[in-house]
Amino acid sequence: MVEGLELLTGKAPKPHKGEAMALEDGSRIAVIGAGPAGSMFSHFFLSMAETVGLSVNVDIFEPRRFCHRGPAGCNHCGGIVSESLVQRLATEGLSLPDCVVQRGIESYTLHTDVGDVEIATPLQEKRIAAIYRGNGPRSSEPVDTQSFDGYLLDLARNRGARVIPRLVTDVRRNEDLMTVHCADQFSDSYELVVVATGINSRLMEMLENETAEFARPARTKTFICEFHLGRDVIRETFGPSMHVFLLDIPRLEFAALIPKGDYVTLCLLGDDIDENLIDTFFSSPEVRDRFPGGVIPGHVCHCYPRINIRAATPVYGDRLVLIGDSGTTRLFKDGIGAAYRTSKAAAKTAVFHGVSAEDFKNYYAPLCRRIDNDNRVGKLVFTFASLVQKSRFARRGILNMAANEQQQVDGPRRMSGVLWDLFSGSASYTDVFLRTLHPAYVGTLLWNLVAANLPRGAGRIGRDAERGDDHVRH
Amino acid sequence: MSATRTRHGGPVELPFQVLARQSEKMPPCQARCPNSGDIRSWLGIIAQRGRNGLSLDEAYDKAWRRLVEFNPMPATIGRICPHPCEDLCSRAEKDGAVSINAMERFLGDWGLSRALELPQRATERFPESVAVIGTGPASLSFAYQMARRGYPVTMYDKDQQPGGMLRHAIPDYRLPRTILDAEVERILALDISLHSNVEIGHDESLQALRDEHAMIFLGLGAQAPKYLGIPGEKGPGVIAGIGYLRQHKDLDEIELGAQVLVIGGGNTAIDAARSARRDGARVTLVYRRGESEMPAAQQEIDDARQEGVEFRFLSTPARIIRDRDRVRQVEIQGMRLTEPDADGRRRPEPVPGELEQLPADSVIVAVSQMPGWRAADLGLDSESWLQADDEGKLERGLFTGGDDLGPGIASRAIAQGRRAAESAHAELRGLAPAPRPRTLRITHESVRTDYYADRPRSQTPRRPEEEWLTDPAVEIDLTLSYEQASEEAARCMSCGLCFDCQQCYMYCNPGGFTRVAETRPGHYFVMALDLCEGCGKCIELCPCGYLEARDTAG
Repeated sequence: MVEGLELLTGKAPKPHKGEAMALEDGSRIAVIGAGPAGSMFSHFFLSMAETVGLSVNVDIFEPRRFCHRGPAGCNHCGGIVSESLVQRLATEGLSLPDCVVQRGIESYTLHTDVGDVEIATPLQEKRIAAIYRGNGPRSSEPVDTQSFDGYLLDLARNRGARVIPRLVTDVRRNEDLMTVHCADQFSDSYELVVVATGINSRLMEMLENETAEFARPARTKTFICEFHLGRDVIRETFGPSMHVFLLDIPRLEFAALIPKGDYVTLCLLGDDIDENLIDTFFSSPEVRDRFPGGVIPGHVCHCYPRINIRAATPVYGDRLVLIGDSGTTRLFKDGIGAAYRTSKAAAKTAVFHGVSAEDFKNYYAPLCRRIDNDNRVGKLVFTFASLVQKSRFARRGILNMAANEQQQVDGPRRMSGVLWDLFSGSASYTDVFLRTLHPAYVGTLLWNLVAANLPRGAGRIGRDAERGDDHVRH
Repeated sequence: MSATRTRHGGPVELPFQVLARQSEKMPPCQARCPNSGDIRSWLGIIAQRGRNGLSLDEAYDKAWRRLVEFNPMPATIGRICPHPCEDLCSRAEKDGAVSINAMERFLGDWGLSRALELPQRATERFPESVAVIGTGPASLSFAYQMARRGYPVTMYDKDQQPGGMLRHAIPDYRLPRTILDAEVERILALDISLHSNVEIGHDESLQALRDEHAMIFLGLGAQAPKYLGIPGEKGPGVIAGIGYLRQHKDLDEIELGAQVLVIGGGNTAIDAARSARRDGARVTLVYRRGESEMPAAQQEIDDARQEGVEFRFLSTPARIIRDRDRVRQVEIQGMRLTEPDADGRRRPEPVPGELEQLPADSVIVAVSQMPGWRAADLGLDSESWLQADDEGKLERGLFTGGDDLGPGIASRAIAQGRRAAESAHAELRGLAPAPRPRTLRITHESVRTDYYADRPRSQTPRRPEEEWLTDPAVEIDLTLSYEQASEEAARCMSCGLCFDCQQCYMYCNPGGFTRVAETRPGHYFVMALDLCEGCGKCIELCPCGYLEARDTAG
């Protein structure tokens, strides 16, 4: 792996022997982008610097306003945060008030062509939270909610970070400093540049074009849209449940409808989601049946966000580090959790070790490697999931097993747990995968596969999530 | 919103299938400028110079050339214009309108200091000669626009020196004569000859002129003062505002006495009041409505007060009391404003019994002007304004513009002269009249003012107050500095025209915007519509309202 990004590269002059490339009092740090990674980095960095008595300046470059409604003030994501992440953030001093976190999603409802099953919150995990990254959909009325990203940025600002409303268009190495160039011709030099633009900005592409050794993250296209249905209709038809679809549509890995106040967010993940795939998705009866009268209303807001499906390489250089989606993130799920982990590790490295490529290699890159390795397992898990999607036989088995578990008052809920963690991103893919190798899981699944696919066999139970009555569906 | 379009395999409406388009819109400054000056364009040349490879000097030169396309006298107009362009500036409510007038003045002075030449429009020369009667702003503008199109122009003025009201009615402390001289000189340096001390209709007939020239422009102005028509007005000691200003400027001996009353509330009244202070008199300005109803610019009112001019609002003179011939007192009738009428106007009406005598040694009446041309053979009725079409055409070969169409500000006169020239040129060359550009105006809602960083309006430098009255000719307002002008230009939000904020380019998910190789203000990116995913983010991010939704219905 290349140690300094050579345009970015042209390494910084090596410090003299025994002299570390470290921050000191008065050092200036530029954070590019005020998504969760950029704001959390600033927060952690300033807190850690304070504990070691380091007086540094953090400038966050963010031209957009999270108070704007619609895509201009939004960071394009489904807006699901697991309760465990909310709790972890709280212990870090990043407690999210209720106006930011629209708690209240208490179950997942899995929809397949062979039936539905509602999976309740596992005992150790209280709930999941739905959020708006920006200030809600286009033309939405003010509601009692606040932008998640805007809230984190405020926390960073309160920690002492300065927000500069300028668009960064280039980053260059300038002797032993990094220079940040903005669209309005402003430029300034910093001891450390933290790239947290995500991959829905062109900055990563520009850095890649200018740096032979650097490869930006691989991306794929997803789809998100918002339906305005009104609070009452949503309570009646969706309940406090996130609706996940396991459908046999090629290239579709994950599809969910997430209720949020007056709106329902649709989130489609997979391999290059396009209009044909969306049309196919909306045409399927499992989806149409979710909506009142079986009619899918027009959406008020949509976008095709890109997501990171393979990490950038490298994710650091001298005086430069890439965090959040700009560097590496978890495949499909829990991007905010990955932003939290990478931003904290990068902050720790910069404060306690130094800002050279060597420092990031030793103290930051290992975390990124762990995430990348887990994503490899994740790919395997999703490959397995798509096999299930393709096979009615397998769908029946899984649905049966989960439904049976939900019927039990106690006893192990192995399938429910696996599905829950897969949908919510609460656990690592490796953890999920290992649990599916447990003999009890395998045994029960085999039994259910047989039972569910026997003609008129016992136990082919699906539970209709809306009506709540048990019934058998073919 | 398309109601019929169905997608997603069923009767599903897709209400926000946005395809953005680039659409230039008219900014509020230009919409408000009587001369339709393309202010955004010349400010943009300066503000965006770096990205278009211009040094600051080059940008100022280029901006000046763009500015003088419509106004050949920016140093003059930049000093005297009440700048309606600034009223609705999108920046006004944020941190103060862009100082457009001060910028115009700066560029005007820049052009003079660099001895920049007015840009010609054509290299060919036309044989038809053009006569211009009068040398005020309308006439100068017409002459400039004709000369630069290749016509030989002859100007006639009944006075010795050109400039019209700019020369005779604007005090030196607002417009130094060196500035006016230099800008007039530069216009005359085009193919224009000036015949001074020739009054058409008196020294020479209009018909003789029409025989000699293919095209005539009448810039007669409105030079006859209006009086009050009250008892005691006729006689020495009562003088018209414009007459007084002319005498004051020509440094004639004027015996005003110690106490002067100025009647009126417009800029001429303020100019007269402040000039009278410079002549050493105590001055009270009497106006029949309140201060907020005064047509004069607020800055002028404040400055007059600073100089010691006293104000009597809601007062109107009822009679002038003389002792033998000399003015002694003016009887003032107290007024009040009626409730707003159907048009929302509050009219002044006398308050019965409220009469007061104010001491006065002379009275300057600056209430209004009339046509008053002495040209019997022009066949014009000197009591009423000329009636021309929108382009200033009276008849074939005869155009007009300026105050003879009714009083207005100098930049309106320049606009009328320019438009008349465009039309006269079309007539002489047999061209179809150029259609007036009808640009869609930008709305305030589509300019996202919160995108723009706060940048306080530049303070126009001013001479210290204690020096204002010491020399009647000393100019009070000064010109922005070289650095200030660049800072001030950068405050322009470029309403309705791309200024390269780059947000669409940077944030478009499919990368639908491509940067063009040769950039210039308004021309930085092209869109690939086939890549558009319809999210509308670029439109919502566009701070200046240049990108807008394309109607995709049908």
